[in-house]
Amino acid sequence: MSYRTKAKKNKNHQETKIQFSWKEVKRQKVLLIWSFFIVVYGIVFYYLPLAGWAMAFENYKPKDGIFHSSFVGLKKFNMLFSDETFLRVIRNTLAMGVINLIATFITAILFAILLNELKSRGGKKIVQTISYLPHFLSWIIVTGILHDALSGSGIINEVLMKLHIIDQSINFFAHTQYFWLIVAFANIWKETGWNAIIYLAAITAIDPNLYEAAAIDGAGRFDRIKHVTMPGIKPTIIILLLINVGNVLNAGFEIQYLLGNGLVQRVSQTIDIYVLKWGISQGDYALGTAAGIFKSLVSIILIVIVNKIAKHNGEERLF
Amino acid sequence: MKAAVKRRKKISVADFSFRFCNMIFMILFVVITLYPILNTLAISFNDGTDALRGGIYIWPRLFSLKNYYTVIQKDDLITGAFITVMRTVIGTLLSLVTNAILAFIVSRKRFLFRHQLSLFWVITMYVNGGLIPTFLLYKGLGLTNSFGVYVIPGMISAFNMLVIRTYMNGIPDSLEESAQLDGAGYTTIFVKIISPLCKPVYATIALFVAVAQWNSWFDAMLYNRMSDNLTTLQYELMKLLSSVTNQSTSAEVMKNASGSVTPTSVRAAATMLTMLPIVCIYPFLQRYFVTGLTLGGVKE
Amino acid sequence: MKKKHMVNLLLVIVMPMSLLTGCSNKAAADTANAGSSGNSQSTADAGSTDTSNNNAGDVTTDTKEIKEFTAFFAVPGSELNDDNEIQAMIAEQTGVSVKEIWLTGQTAEEAIGTLVAGGEYPDFIDGGDGEQQLYEAGALVALDDYIDQYPNIKNFFTEQEWEALRQDDGHIYWIPQFSNIKGEEKTCTHNDEAFWIQTRVLKWAGYPTITTMDEYFDLIESYNEANPTMEDGTTNIPYTILCDDWRYFCLENAPQFLDGYPNDGCCIVDPLTQTVIDYNTTATANAYFKKLNDEYQKGIVDPESFTQTYDEYIAKLSTGRVLGMIDQWWDFAYTAGDAIKQAGLDEQGCEYVPLPITISSDVTNKWHCSGGVLNVASGLSVTVSCQDVEGALQFINDLLGQQVHDLRFWGEEGVDYLVDDSGEFYRTDEMRSNASDATYKAAHLCTYSYFPQYLGTSDDGINAMNPSGQGSEFYDGLSDNVKECFSAYGCQTYVDMLGTVEAPGAWYPMWSFAGTLTTATEGGLANTKITELKHEYLPKVVMAEDFDSAWADYMTEYEDCNPQAYLDELQAEVDRRVAEAAKYQ
Repeated sequence: MSYRTKAKKNKNHQETKIQFSWKEVKRQKVLLIWSFFIVVYGIVFYYLPLAGWAMAFENYKPKDGIFHSSFVGLKKFNMLFSDETFLRVIRNTLAMGVINLIATFITAILFAILLNELKSRGGKKIVQTISYLPHFLSWIIVTGILHDALSGSGIINEVLMKLHIIDQSINFFAHTQYFWLIVAFANIWKETGWNAIIYLAAITAIDPNLYEAAAIDGAGRFDRIKHVTMPGIKPTIIILLLINVGNVLNAGFEIQYLLGNGLVQRVSQTIDIYVLKWGISQGDYALGTAAGIFKSLVSIILIVIVNKIAKHNGEERLF
Repeated sequence: MKAAVKRRKKISVADFSFRFCNMIFMILFVVITLYPILNTLAISFNDGTDALRGGIYIWPRLFSLKNYYTVIQKDDLITGAFITVMRTVIGTLLSLVTNAILAFIVSRKRFLFRHQLSLFWVITMYVNGGLIPTFLLYKGLGLTNSFGVYVIPGMISAFNMLVIRTYMNGIPDSLEESAQLDGAGYTTIFVKIISPLCKPVYATIALFVAVAQWNSWFDAMLYNRMSDNLTTLQYELMKLLSSVTNQSTSAEVMKNASGSVTPTSVRAAATMLTMLPIVCIYPFLQRYFVTGLTLGGVKE
Repeated sequence: MKKKHMVNLLLVIVMPMSLLTGCSNKAAADTANAGSSGNSQSTADAGSTDTSNNNAGDVTTDTKEIKEFTAFFAVPGSELNDDNEIQAMIAEQTGVSVKEIWLTGQTAEEAIGTLVAGGEYPDFIDGGDGEQQLYEAGALVALDDYIDQYPNIKNFFTEQEWEALRQDDGHIYWIPQFSNIKGEEKTCTHNDEAFWIQTRVLKWAGYPTITTMDEYFDLIESYNEANPTMEDGTTNIPYTILCDDWRYFCLENAPQFLDGYPNDGCCIVDPLTQTVIDYNTTATANAYFKKLNDEYQKGIVDPESFTQTYDEYIAKLSTGRVLGMIDQWWDFAYTAGDAIKQAGLDEQGCEYVPLPITISSDVTNKWHCSGGVLNVASGLSVTVSCQDVEGALQFINDLLGQQVHDLRFWGEEGVDYLVDDSGEFYRTDEMRSNASDATYKAAHLCTYSYFPQYLGTSDDGINAMNPSGQGSEFYDGLSDNVKECFSAYGCQTYVDMLGTVEAPGAWYPMWSFAGTLTTATEGGLANTKITELKHEYLPKVVMAEDFDSAWADYMTEYEDCNPQAYLDELQAEVDRRVAEAAKYQ
C-alpha cells in the first residue's frame, strides 16, 4: 500500500448511525451517566448566566437588578444599529478578526511544519521554547516594544531608510492604512509559537512508519509534508479553523486600545472598545449585553454555516 | 541502479538547500521572538527612574536589583504563590480529567447523543451572560470568597474538549472494538486504551490549562477581593502594577492618586518572575510535542 | 507498568477533588465568619479562634481592641503591607485599622456595578466615577444625622459646603476628601496645568517676561535656532504634545486658560453674567490651534505628538530634549522630573517652570486658583454593610486630629522628619528619598490617602499639613538652576511664577458636574460624542496643510454633535449652584 493512501486511511470518518433503543442505552449506561453530570454542569455554569441577556431588553439599573428593571424591548439594539460608529466598529472588528485569523493560522501551521523538519533534536527544543515565550508577555509590554520599533527613529524606519525604500521616516501610527497590519503582525509575533504547540502535538500522532514508507518510495521533503504531515494534522487544522471562524468578532480589546490613537480611531476601535466607551463607562451595562448578544448570534450563524460546509466535504466538524 | 543513485543525490541537494533555508528562517524567527524577552529582561535589571528615559535594548544601562526587590517584598506574595500553585495543580488535573471524559464520550461513534452533546458545548464558546449575571450566579452557588471559584467554573471548556476529541477521533476504532470483544467496558477502554495514546494531546491541554490558571487574576479580583488568604500571585502583582492604562481615568482621579503608577521596570521584573516557573516546567511537557512518539498500539 | 501509572494518576486526581469540596466549604465558612465578625473583630478573639493568624498576634501588646474595617476605593492606588508600621501606630491611637483595597484592572463603573449587584459592600467606600450608582442603589449611609457628634468631621466643611453635598433626597452621603485648606494656604508647587518651559531656555534669553502664547513660541523657536542640540549632541524637541487617550486634556482645554479663565475643565463660565461659554469654538481656540498648526508646519511641534504613548512622552521629557509643553504637573513631575534629576540634567537646566501665558498681554492669567476645590461628585462614604457606623465615623474624626494627621502625612518623628528648635519640621535628603520610595511607603508610611485630609497650615501655626507645602522644605529640594530662575523673576515657588487668584464663584469647578454626565441624557450623549470627535479632529487640525478648511470641517462635525444640549445642561447646573450659594449670602 502506498504511503499516501495509508496516511489517508488513518482518519476514519465513516458515519455509523446508531438507532435509539433501550438495549443501546443500557450498553452505553456509563457514557450516559457521565454525560448527564456534564450537561448539568454545562447548564449551571454556561447557560444559567444567559438569564442576564434579559438586561439587553431592559433599562437596567444595578439597584433594581435583572428582574425588576423596566422593560424597554429592542431599544438598545435600535440604538446600536442606528449608530454609525457601531457599524464602523463592526467593520473594524470583522476586518481585524479575519486578517488575524488568516495570518496567525498560516504562520502557526507553517512554523510547526518547518520546526518538525529540523533535524537536530536540541535545535528543535531550543527554537520551540523560545518561540512560545512572547505569549507570556502582556500586551502592554509587547505594544510598548512595537511602538519603539515603529517610531520615527525606530529600527524599522532606520532599516527602510538605509535600504532607500523610503527617504523620509514614516509615522506608522498616524496612518489608518497600516493599523490592521500592525495588529496582525503583533498577533503573529506574540502567538505563533504558542499556537504551533497544538499542531506539534498533532504531528507526533503521525505514524513514523509513514515517513519511512515515503522515504523508501523516494518522496522528497515537500512530498512528505504534503502527503504525510498535512493529512496527519488536517483534522486539527479544520477543527481550529471552525472554532476560530466563530471567533472573528472577538478580535480583541487590549491591543487595539494600546496601539490606537485619535488619528486612527476610525479603524482601530473594536466592538469591545465601543462597549467600554459607550456602555460601561456610562453606567449602561445593557448596551454591552446587547452587543454581546449580537456577537453571539453572528458567531453561531457562522459556525453553523462552516460546520455544514465541513460536513458536506466529509471533514472533521464541530458538532 | 545508476539512475537510483543519481536520483538520491538530486534529492539530497534539494534537501540540503531546504534544510539550509529552514535553518536560516528558524534563526531569524528566534531572533525576532527572543528580542522582546531580552528587552524585558534588560529593563527589569535596570534602574527604574533611568529606564523611564527609554533607549534600553538588550542590556541594562544602569544595573539594579531594586525592581526585583520591590516585587518580592510585596505583601501576601507567599500566600498568593501558594494559592496559585494549588489552583494550577488542582485546576489542571480537574480540567484534564473532565475534558478527557467528555471528549471520550463525544468521540464514541456509537454514542446516541454524540452530535447533540457536541453542539451543546460548542455553543458555550460563543455565548456569555456577562459579568454581573455570572457574579450573581457564583455568589448564589457560594463560590465567592472560596477557592472553588478558581477551579470549578471553566473546568470543562469546549475548546479543550474539541482538541482532545479531534485527537481521539484519529485513533482507529478497531482498538475499541477488539477491547469490547474482550469484554472491556467504556471505563476500561477510556483508562487503559485511549488515554495512554492521548499523552501528547493531554500534555497540550494540561499546558494550556496550567498557563491559563497560572496567569489568571481577574477571578481573584472579582470574587475573592475581600479574602486575603485566597489571593493569587498574579492578582498581587496586578495590584502592584495597578496598570492605569486600561481605565478611562480622569485627570482629577490621577491628581489624587499620584505615585500609584508603577514604573515599566517593575512591571518587567514582575513579568520575568512569573514567567520563570511556567517556563521551567515546560521542558517536562515538551518531550510530548517535539520528539516524535512511537505510538506502539496505533499501528495495525 | 503503564497501567499502574494511570491508576495512580486517577487516584491523584480524585483525592484533591474530594479535598476540594471540603476545602471550599471550609474556606467559605471561614470568610463568612470573618465577614460577620470582621467589623468589630478584636485581636484577642482572632488570636484564640485562629492560631494560624499570626498577624493578629503581632499587634496585641495591650488589651485594647483594634477594630478592623475594610475600604474599597474605585481608583488606582498602592496597597499597604499588612504589617505597615504607621498603620499600627494609628491603630494604637485610634483603635482602628482599615484594610484598603484599590481598583485593579477594571473601570470604576464596572467594579461598583458588580458590588451593587452582589449587594455586599466594604465598610468604607469611594465609588469614584461610580459614586452615583452607589447612592441610587441605597448602598450608602446618610451621614447628616451623625455629623454633629463628630467635631472634626463637622468642622471639616462650612455649613454651606455641607449643604452643597446634599443629594436630591436631602441627605449627605459622602465626604470629599481632598483640597480642603485649613488656615493659611501653603502651596509651593503648581500641581495643575500650565505651559512649562525648561529653565535653560529662560536663562539663555536672560529671563524675559513671557506672558502670551506668541511670545512663548517665539522664545522656543529662537532658542532652538541658536541651540539645536543639547550639550551631548542630542537634538532638541522644541515642543511636544501629549495626546494619549484621556491624557489629551492639555491639548484640548488650553483655550479656557488662554482666555484668562480658571480650570472649570469643561467650559468657560463668565463670572459677570454666569453664562456658560463653549471654549471649543471661541476665536481663541481657533487662534491657539492655528498657532499649533503653524508651529507644526515649521517643525517646532514634535511630529510624533499625536501618536506617542504616555511612556514615550515621559521618555522624551526624561532625556531633557523637550524645551516646552503644556501639561499638568502631577502628570510628569513625579516620573520625568525625577529622571531628569537623577541623570544630572538639572545642571543643564532641563527642569521645567510654568509661565503665566494667555492669548494676549491684556488678559490676566488664572492658571492657579487659591482655596480648596470642593468636588461634590464623590467622596468617602460609609456603606450599609458597615455594622459599626459610629466607630467608622469616629475613625474619620480621629484621622483629622492634628497628631494623627501629622503621622499620616509627615510620618514618624525622628524617622521620617525632624523638628528644629522653633518647632519647624524638616527632612534630610535620605528622608525625602524614602518618602518617594514605593517599597518604603508600603512597609512604613500610611497616609490613608482616600480618607479626608487637610492642606494648609497645621494647628501649631508653624508647619504645613504635609511636606509639599512646607516652604523651607520645598526650597531645599530645588536645584540651583530652578532657584536662579525663581530669583530672576522674584519668585519663591512655582505658584509665584503664575500668581494666585481667588476661585471665581460658587459654580466652580464645573468639571465636578461634567464628570457625572452619562449618555443617559442628551447633554451627556453630546459630551461623549464631542470627546470622540476631538480625539480625532484636534490632531488633524494641527497637522493639516490647510488649517482653515480643516478647522471648518471640524466645526461642521462639531455642530452635528449637538453641543447646545451639553451646554444647556452645564448652564442649568451653574444656575443651580449659584442659587444654592445665594442662600448663604
